[in-house]
Amino acid sequence: MTAAPWTVADRDPSPWETGPVAAYGARDGTLTLYNDYASGRAILWPGPAAGRASELVALWNRRGNAGRLRPVGPSEPVEGYGVFTFPYGPISMGVPESGRFDVRTYGERILEITPTAGFKDRGILAALVGRSVPDATLAIERVAGHLSAAHVSAFLAACESAEGRDVPTTELWVRALAQELQRIYNHVHVIARIAEAASQNVGLAQTHALAEEVLRLQAALFGHRWMFGGLVDGAALRKLGPRERDAAAATLRRLADQFEELWTLFLDSRTFVDRIQATCVVDRETALRWGAVGPTLRASGVPWDDRLRQAVPPYTDLYLELPKESDGDALSRVVVRAEEVRASFLLLEQLLSRWKGEIGGREPAAPPAAPGRGLARVEAPSGDLVYDVTVRDGTIRHVGMRTPSHANWPAFAVGLKGGVFTDFHFAYESFGFSFAETDG
Amino acid sequence: MPSWLGQAARRGLLTSRYPVAPATPAETPESARPPRPSGNSGVPVAAVDACPVRALEPSGVDDGKCIRCSRCLAHGLGYSGPVEASAATRDALVSRGSAPPLPAAKRAPLADFGRSVHVFLVDVGSCNACNLEVLALANPFYDTTRLGIFFTNSPRHADVLLVVGVPTEEMRAPLLRAFEAIPSPKAVVAAGVCPISGGVFAGNAGVLGPLSDVLPVDVFIPGCPPTPVNLIDGLLRAAGRSRPRGGA
Repeated sequence: MTAAPWTVADRDPSPWETGPVAAYGARDGTLTLYNDYASGRAILWPGPAAGRASELVALWNRRGNAGRLRPVGPSEPVEGYGVFTFPYGPISMGVPESGRFDVRTYGERILEITPTAGFKDRGILAALVGRSVPDATLAIERVAGHLSAAHVSAFLAACESAEGRDVPTTELWVRALAQELQRIYNHVHVIARIAEAASQNVGLAQTHALAEEVLRLQAALFGHRWMFGGLVDGAALRKLGPRERDAAAATLRRLADQFEELWTLFLDSRTFVDRIQATCVVDRETALRWGAVGPTLRASGVPWDDRLRQAVPPYTDLYLELPKESDGDALSRVVVRAEEVRASFLLLEQLLSRWKGEIGGREPAAPPAAPGRGLARVEAPSGDLVYDVTVRDGTIRHVGMRTPSHANWPAFAVGLKGGVFTDFHFAYESFGFSFAETDG
Repeated sequence: MPSWLGQAARRGLLTSRYPVAPATPAETPESARPPRPSGNSGVPVAAVDACPVRALEPSGVDDGKCIRCSRCLAHGLGYSGPVEASAATRDALVSRGSAPPLPAAKRAPLADFGRSVHVFLVDVGSCNACNLEVLALANPFYDTTRLGIFFTNSPRHADVLLVVGVPTEEMRAPLLRAFEAIPSPKAVVAAGVCPISGGVFAGNAGVLGPLSDVLPVDVFIPGCPPTPVNLIDGLLRAAGRSRPRGGA
C-alpha cells in the first residue's frame, strides 16, 4: 500500500494558529481536507470544517436558493452615491461561456464584482449515482471538455482508492501524458486569450495556431482532439508504439521551440505586458484567506503543486521545477503559466524518452479516506482538483468535487475590487476559469 | 533578433484548403467521422448493447446521439462515416445500414444569406469543448473568414444562431432573448450532440431536452465535439453552400 497523500488529524485543524487552509469539504460534513502550507502537508480531518474554513467550504458547496443560480464569490454589498449594479452575461462574447458577473460600480471602477454560476448546471454529479465507473467516466470527461484529462485522472484515482484496486503502471503514464498535453493547451490558450484582449493580433494568431497543433497531437495519440474515451477505465488504451512516440517527441520539440520564440516576443511587447502588470493583484494573504490554488497561488509566492506530492509514478520519477513569482498580479499568473508550459514540455520529453516498450507492473491504490470512499487530487491546469467518490459493488453512490474554478472565484472577486472595467478580461482570463466545471 | 513577422513568415502558410480540397487526415481525426458497421451487414447486437447513449440500432446509426466513445469499435464498427455529416433535418442524421438515407422531408429552404453568414455563438450548457472548437475556426489553420463565415459580438448583427451545449433550464430565457434579437431572416444551427439529443446528459435534472423542443433548428452538426471541419461543413450548409450529405 502506498503512503497516504495526507496525514489524518486527531483534532480539528481549523483553529490552528498557523492556519491550514481548507482544500475540500464534503457537503454532509463527514470529512474536510486541509493544506498546511507552513509544513507542506495535507491534513485529513474526519469531521466538518469550522471557522474560516467552513466559510470557504460553504461557498464551494453553495446551492441556489431558487433555481440553480448561485453566487460563487464573497458578497459584501457596496453602497454609495450613484452606485448601481451592472449585470454582465450570461451571454457575452467577452467570456465565451455562459455565466453572469454582477458589477457594483458608479461608472468606471469595479467596486465589487460577484460571479454567478449555475446557468450551465447539467446536474452531472447527481446523475452519476447508480452508474458503473466506466459509464460515469463518460460524463466526467464532459464536465469540462478542455480539462478532461485532469477530471478523469482524479475521478479514476478516487474510484481506485475507494475500491482498493491497484492500477497498471502504463495507465498512470498515459494519464500523466494526457494531463501534461492538456496543461500546455490550456496555458497556451490563456496566453492567446490575453493576447486577443490586448489586440496583440499577430501574437494571437501564432499562439492560437500552437494550441491547434497541440490538439492535433492529442488527436494523433488518443484518436480524439479532446482525448475523450482515451483514458476511460476499461477502454482499450492506445498502444503507443515507438514510431508514434518518436513522432510525438519530434512534434513536441518543434512546438517547444516555437513557444520559446513566441514567449520572448510577448515579454517584449508593451501592449501585452502593460495590460496585465499590476492588474487584479491577489497577494499572498488574500490567496491563503480565500483558498486560491494552482498558478494563482504560485503567482502569490506559495509553492504548492499536487504533482510534487503524488506518491505514485510517473511524477515520482520525473524532474519538475516550480516557477517562483510573488507579485500576485495577472502578469505573474501568466508568467507562471508560461514557465509551466516549459516544464510540461520537459516532463513530456522525459515521459516519452523513458517509455521503453510496455511499462510493466501495477501500482497499489492510495488508501481510502473512509471504507468505500476514495479521495484523490490532481494538479489541473488551473490548480488543485479534488474528487471524493463513494463506490459500492462497482456502482457509484456519491460524487463530490472541488474544482480549481471553485477555489479561485473568491480570489478573483477580491483581487478585481478597485480595478476598472477594461481590466476585467485580463483578470478573468489569467485565472483560467471554467463555468462548465463550476456548474457540473 | 526575433520579430513577430519574421517568425510568422518562417512558419509559412498554415491555412487549410478545405472545402475546395478534401480535408486532410490531420484535420479529420477518427472522432470527426460517425461510426458505421463494416461491410453491408447491419449493426451487431453486441454493439447495440455496448452503446451507452443508444445511438445504435440493429438497423443503423443515429449520428445525432453518438458521443464517439469508441466502445462499438470492439464490436465491428469503425469511424468510417462521412466528414460532411451535418443535415437539415433530425431524421437525416439516422443512417440505415448501407441503404441510402431516406429523402429528407420537404421543408422551406434556408434563407438566402448571399453565401456569407455572420454567426452568433450561444452556449446553453456545454462542457466548453464545443466553444473552443468554434473558437478554433478563427485560428490560422481554419480561418473561416476566407469562406465568408464571420463571428459577431452582437445578435443584432447576426444571421445564424450557433448553439452549443445541452439546453438547461436556466439558459432557456437568455437563449430565447438572443434568438429574438437576431433580425430575420435567420437560421439556427445546433452544433454537437448535446443540443441535438442531449448526448450523455439526456434526462439529467435541469436539462430541458433537445434544442428542437425550444427553437426551430435549421442545421444539425453531429459530433462530440464536432471538429472544426465538421463545423465548417454545417455553417456552409446554413449559408446555402453545402454539398450533399455523404459527398466528397
